[in-house]
Amino acid sequence: MAKLILLCLNYMILRSTVEAVFEDQVGKFDWRQQYVGKVRFSSFDTHAQSSKKVLLATESNVFAALNTRTGDLFWRHVDKTGPEGNIDALLQHGQDAVLVVGDGRLLRSWEINVGGLNWEILLDSGSFQSACLVGQQDNVKHVAVLKKTVISLHYLSNGHQKWIENLPESETVDYQAVYSDGNGEVYAMGVVPHSHITIVVYSVEDGEIIKQVSVEAPWLSNIQTSCAVIGPGMLTCMDPATVSLYMLDLHLESEMTQIPLQALGLEVTPGFHPVLVSTQPNPARQPLSEFFLQLGPEQYLLLQLNNGQIVTLRDFKPAMLASFATAGEKTVAAVMSPKNKTACSINLFNAETGRRLLDTTLIYNLDPNGGKPEKLYVQAFLKKDDSVGYRVMVQTEDHALAFLQQPGRVMWTREEALSDVVTMEMVDLPLTGTQAELEGEFGKKADGLMSMVMKRLSSQLILLQAWIAHLWKLFYDARKPRSQVKNEVTIENLSRDEFNLQKMMVMVTASGKLFGIDSKTGNKDTGLATLHVFNPIFGKKSHITPPALPQPILQSLLLPLMDQDYAKVLLLVDDQYKVSAFPSTKNVLQQLQEMASSIFFYLVDSSQGRLSGYRLRTDLSTELIWEVVIPTEVQKIVSIKGKRPNEHVHSQGRVMGDRSVLYKYLNPNLLAVVTESTDLHQERSFVGILLIDGVTGRIIHEAVQRKARGPVHVVHSENWVVYEYWSTKSRRNEFSVIELYEGMELYNSTVFSSLDRPHAPQVLQQSYIFPSSISTMEATLTEKGITSRHLLIGLPSGGILSLPKMFLDPRRPEIVTEQSREENLIPYAPELIIRTEWFINYNQTVSRVRGIYTAPSGLESTCLVVAYGLDIYQTRVYPSKQFDVLKDDY
Amino acid sequence: MLNTDRAPLLWLLAQAALVSAAWCFTDMETGPGAGVSTQPNGDRFKIEGRAIVPGIKTQDWVSAARVLVEGEEYVGFLRTDGSFAVNDVPSGSYVIEIITPNYRFEPVRVDITSKGKMRARLVNYIKPSEVIRQPYPLQIRASGPQSYFMKRETWGWTDFLMNPMVMMMVLPLLIIVLLPKVVNTNDPEMRKEIEQSMNMLSPNPELPDVSELVTKFFSGSKGSSKAGGSSKGTRPAAKRR
Repeated sequence: MAKLILLCLNYMILRSTVEAVFEDQVGKFDWRQQYVGKVRFSSFDTHAQSSKKVLLATESNVFAALNTRTGDLFWRHVDKTGPEGNIDALLQHGQDAVLVVGDGRLLRSWEINVGGLNWEILLDSGSFQSACLVGQQDNVKHVAVLKKTVISLHYLSNGHQKWIENLPESETVDYQAVYSDGNGEVYAMGVVPHSHITIVVYSVEDGEIIKQVSVEAPWLSNIQTSCAVIGPGMLTCMDPATVSLYMLDLHLESEMTQIPLQALGLEVTPGFHPVLVSTQPNPARQPLSEFFLQLGPEQYLLLQLNNGQIVTLRDFKPAMLASFATAGEKTVAAVMSPKNKTACSINLFNAETGRRLLDTTLIYNLDPNGGKPEKLYVQAFLKKDDSVGYRVMVQTEDHALAFLQQPGRVMWTREEALSDVVTMEMVDLPLTGTQAELEGEFGKKADGLMSMVMKRLSSQLILLQAWIAHLWKLFYDARKPRSQVKNEVTIENLSRDEFNLQKMMVMVTASGKLFGIDSKTGNKDTGLATLHVFNPIFGKKSHITPPALPQPILQSLLLPLMDQDYAKVLLLVDDQYKVSAFPSTKNVLQQLQEMASSIFFYLVDSSQGRLSGYRLRTDLSTELIWEVVIPTEVQKIVSIKGKRPNEHVHSQGRVMGDRSVLYKYLNPNLLAVVTESTDLHQERSFVGILLIDGVTGRIIHEAVQRKARGPVHVVHSENWVVYEYWSTKSRRNEFSVIELYEGMELYNSTVFSSLDRPHAPQVLQQSYIFPSSISTMEATLTEKGITSRHLLIGLPSGGILSLPKMFLDPRRPEIVTEQSREENLIPYAPELIIRTEWFINYNQTVSRVRGIYTAPSGLESTCLVVAYGLDIYQTRVYPSKQFDVLKDDY
Repeated sequence: MLNTDRAPLLWLLAQAALVSAAWCFTDMETGPGAGVSTQPNGDRFKIEGRAIVPGIKTQDWVSAARVLVEGEEYVGFLRTDGSFAVNDVPSGSYVIEIITPNYRFEPVRVDITSKGKMRARLVNYIKPSEVIRQPYPLQIRASGPQSYFMKRETWGWTDFLMNPMVMMMVLPLLIIVLLPKVVNTNDPEMRKEIEQSMNMLSPNPELPDVSELVTKFFSGSKGSSKAGGSSKGTRPAAKRR
């Protein structure tokens, strides 16, 4: 055993040069973009005048600090996905940021300068409602957390609980908000819908109930959406039914006073629920008496509460967004209003008077491809002359953030939609005119020596011309200041390079925004908002109209047929099993009819565990030819992997130690079906894998891994399937590899047909221990398939491991023989080792990696890799080193 | 039967003594970390510890670090002093890893009994039931910076000199230039000695000289009659000098 490991180690050392990054290659071919997700809460660090931090808490359960000058991350903390890591509230005080996480499960305090945790405590169970900072005599020392049935007070310094109290009558009263204004009391506000409001006042000192008030409010159902506390503790609520404001003094026991908006001369846009926005710059003091009232989608009012009277300070119409900001003792209101079709203007107003501040206009240009502005975050600061300056962060509907300063300079933008890429594709860039000309020369048949020479000369001339133009452009650009040289998207800079290493990455995001990203630089191209036809390079919508889709589509297939424009044909199968082709020109339909008898496809219904194979008839109807049913009460289908259509296999077989050839079973129609047991008990759970021929439905092989459960990650390529699962018995992750061989002879070496393969393939399988869980897995892909294959494994740590397929080879012998040594087989070792030298992304970790996309380049040795998740990382890998490229130092 | 499934894990599993559930351990010693840490909501526990990177200030690395419990099943963060606590973990056996992009930490397995008794041990995937105790609360020390990069072959003088081609050219040169100076050729005794050694080195007189054979071969058939007898390897080496 020890000997085996030693041997294995020896091999490893011998092969340690399989792949790694050299330090001087850092950032040369790779780039990473880090994202945080859609912003839910944001807060500017105001405790120091020179601070450059903005805190963001996002819907992706990320809490991060950004540099406001550059938009880069200072630090970022990525919590667990799902509801357990959900950020419910963000409260900032000085250098501390308090977060409520996981529906009130945890209370965390972060030190925002270092980005480390101050403390974390577990809260009592119960769903979270609201939280606020509690101050006393201008000192903020506590944080109050309101849950469905309890209210608790915690010290800001260490998180310890000062007191916890059960809320009275919590079965009937729905407590929704907590409020404090620095007078030693905490107010918990609840509502019995359509009946009354209950206000419970607690003493900060010991949690004793000072008083409990119930006030009739039959019109109220939700405090958080319709109420706000204004000025000296006036709970102000909006009732859309009677179109009036109701006010209640929290310090006095009284009735609610009704103020109809009509009496103030105001009108609400029909069908709009008016919204109140107040501001409390210091949690130890009362909120300001000024507040916003939004009366319509494009109308805001700045109102003031003055001795119980509501005064209109200013009417903003049209106004898209409005927000308060405080610098020092001054509070300002920032209002965004439309200027023209392509731009908006933002102005500052004195909150106390409603007067516009001079020289505070900021122009925000709307992105024609982007979404509408959704939120406005204002960073106000005092200038040297004591006037208020400001910068704004605008969040748009497509999750983008833009940070602007006066008079409209965009300091940075972040496309947070890219934090949630659903799928992606890499598209070859087009040839330029000159490149096409050159290619044409080689493509055509020779037509006389003289004309060939002339053609060569003319194309050389064109090249020379292009080179001079390029030099001139370089010279011209060099004289211009750097900021003016814009990355314009033209056919010139988006054309194919010599080895097709630069491609266009087309990414589809969950927010519905589409991105085209240049793989060389990471520059974003354009964004766009069923079936869409567009030009992948420039992002312009194509003039071809997509067909109307009257029926839900079950499956879409890309056929190897091409129409006259070299567009591949897309087959759409609807839920009536009818097939339609796109583009459906006459030429295509004719080709389809000719090919129909050899077009087969399969459909999967995982809810019923049914796999069915169909064949296309010439009239484009379908015919069921096979069906496999996997009983859903025992196991469910979790994934199906076919082979990639653009995969090439270079060698048909493997040369054995005795110089004979073991031929690979290369069935292009093979499907790997992974099932998991429905019984999740650790003794009885299992993972199954079925290899099915997609044309005939023949089950080629079946394997079951007992005492194992998912998530199962599968890679299916060439003649092998690699899958990874969790072994419940040994509590570890295991890899298993299945390889299929025809044997020592090929049945039909020219063409593979699923219908004519009488012999079942030989199946070899081997399993290994993997010392980490994995997030995703993919195999490298190269132009001709000569280069050896690697598995790219995304780890939860953010590393992307490039594991040579050589280690996952079922022919690895347990006992080394002369023949196995001849064949270069590594002796079997149970544990696969993770070497950090094999991380293709060195310390550029990719958080929550969800997918890895591989694409071949024009160089056989090079495979392009994009890993996406919360971050996006693009690089090149050379699984067999750069055998077709001269060394850097040559 | 063509199906040649192999189960190499079998012998492994056989090796691992079947412990029904490793976290039902029975040793009752009360080490520093064996205290019961109960939490408000019943059977949820807290895994505590501290991570140390020798020689580096904690504030320089904690913001990029995370504590992962069994992949990403539970996530914890590091405090500004490098200590951590992962809250809300039910009883079971977990692998705890400190994840930072720049420093390497060894993973630790922590077992929590249903009563909340904790124990830490080394991770051994091959023998999952083997127990090598580690301190609890965890003390995880970074074993150094992560090494992601391969060393590039650098061009140095030694590499150049040790190159076999260079050696082949330089050594004979040295011999030709230096040897006559070192050895006094005027000394008759020495001369004799050299002569002797040269004789020994000279090819066996019985064997045909290769160069001669080749010249003969190319000079044509006229010399073929003399072949065999013409080999005269009696030329003394001293004369050649």
